[in-house]
Amino acid sequence: MITTAQDEINLYVFAVRAALGDLPESLRDELLEDLPEHLAEVLADGDGSLTERLGSPEAYAADLRTTAGFVGGFPDPPTRTDQFNEMRDLALARLRAVDLRLGPLFGATRASEFLVLLRPAWWVLRGYLVAMVLAWALDDSGQPIGLLPRIGGSEVVALVLLAAGVLGSIWFGRRSLPLSEWPQRALYAGSVVLVLVALAGFSQADSNRRDANYSDVNYDNPYGSIEDLFVYDEQGRLVPHARIFDQNGNPLRLGNASCYDEEGNYTDVETLTYPYCAARDPFRAPSSAPSASPSWANGPGPVPDSSAGVAPSAVPSVSPSAGSPAVSPSPQVKGR
Amino acid sequence: MHRVDTTQLLKGVLDLACLAALRDDDGYGYDILRRLRMAGLTEVGDASVYGTLRRLFNAGLLTTYVVPSDEGPHRKYYALNAAGRAELQRSGKVWHGFACTMDDLLRERETA
Repeated sequence: MITTAQDEINLYVFAVRAALGDLPESLRDELLEDLPEHLAEVLADGDGSLTERLGSPEAYAADLRTTAGFVGGFPDPPTRTDQFNEMRDLALARLRAVDLRLGPLFGATRASEFLVLLRPAWWVLRGYLVAMVLAWALDDSGQPIGLLPRIGGSEVVALVLLAAGVLGSIWFGRRSLPLSEWPQRALYAGSVVLVLVALAGFSQADSNRRDANYSDVNYDNPYGSIEDLFVYDEQGRLVPHARIFDQNGNPLRLGNASCYDEEGNYTDVETLTYPYCAARDPFRAPSSAPSASPSWANGPGPVPDSSAGVAPSAVPSVSPSAGSPAVSPSPQVKGR
Repeated sequence: MHRVDTTQLLKGVLDLACLAALRDDDGYGYDILRRLRMAGLTEVGDASVYGTLRRLFNAGLLTTYVVPSDEGPHRKYYALNAAGRAELQRSGKVWHGFACTMDDLLRERETA
C-alpha cells in the first residue's frame, strides 16, 4: 500500500531500475540519479498517481532507454554470456590441442578417436549405474544394497535389473537416430549425474574395503583397544609363543606386532606369536615388589568354573599379588 | 507504410526541441516538459524529456546546476552552453530546410 508520495516515488523508481536491470550498475545509477526529484515535481503538479500520469514504470524505462541513449561514451561492457562464451571457446581450443598432442600415445591422430572406441564400455557401465540408481530409488527394505542392484535384498531381482539396464543402455547407445537439442542436453546432464553417483559409490566401497582391513565394519569393536594377547594354561602359567586360530583355521591377528621394552626401546616383532611382549604380562609380579610367590602363580590363577565365565583379564584385581590359589575367585579348583 | 504521427516525428526532433526550450531560459526537467507541452508538443513523454536531457548533458551540450527549493526537493537546472547553442543553430537550420522541403512537397501535391 502506498502511504506517502515519497513511498510512491521510491516504488516507481525501484520498478524503473528493475526494468533497466540489464544495464551496467554505474550507468543505471547515473541515469536514474535525478529521477526521484524529477518525479516529485511531477507528483506535486496536479492530481493522479505516477502510474496514471506517466504510464507503467516499464514503459517509462523503455522510453528512457531509447531517448537517453548513451552518447556520453560508455562502451557497453561485455555481457556475461559473452565472457562465458569466450572462456568456453578458449577452453575448447586448449582441449583440442591436448587432444592432438596425446593422439600418438594411442596410435591415432587424436586421443578422442581412442575414446570413441571405448564408447561401448561406457554403455555397459551406464547400464549398471542406471540399474544401481533405480534399485537405490525403489528399494525401501532398509537392507544394504551392496554392489548389485538388489531390491529387497533379492539377488534375482538384482540380476534381472542389471541385465535390463545394460541391454537397455547398449540398445540406446546403438540407436541411429540423433536426439534433438533438449533431449540431448538432458542425456548429457543425466550422464554427469551417473558419473557423480559412480564416483561416490566407488569411494564409499573403497573406504569400506580399507576399513575392513583394520577391523570389522562394526565400529564398536570391543577388541579395538587390544595391543597384545596373553595366553595362560589351566594353571595360570603364561603360554609363550602361542598361536591363535579361528574355526576356519585362519590365524587371528590382534594387537600391534611391536614391542616397547622396559627402557622404552621399540622393536618389531617378527614371529607373530602371542604375546608379542612377554615382558608386559599383566599378571607378572612387579619385579621391584618383594614377593615370595612361586613362579606358577604369576598367572591369573587356575581356571574358574566355566559357569562363572570369568575371562582372565577380568581377574587381575583379585589374584596376582596374593599369589595364592586360595584367593582365586573360583570356589572350584581344577587340576591340582 | 509508416503512419505519420506526432510520436514518430518527435523522436527525430526531441533533441532540437529541448535545446530550443532552453534557448531563452534555463530550466529543470519538469519545467522543460511543461514548456514543450505549452508550446504544443502535447504528446511528449516525461521519460523522453528526462532521458533526452541526460543525453544532451552527457554529449556536452548542456551544463547543470542545482538550486535548492523552498518546498520540494532541490532542482537540477539545465542550461545551454556554447556547444549547445551552436548545435541548436546547426540543427535548427537542418530542420528549417527539411520542413520547408516538406511544405513545398505537400503544397505541390495539393495544388496539382
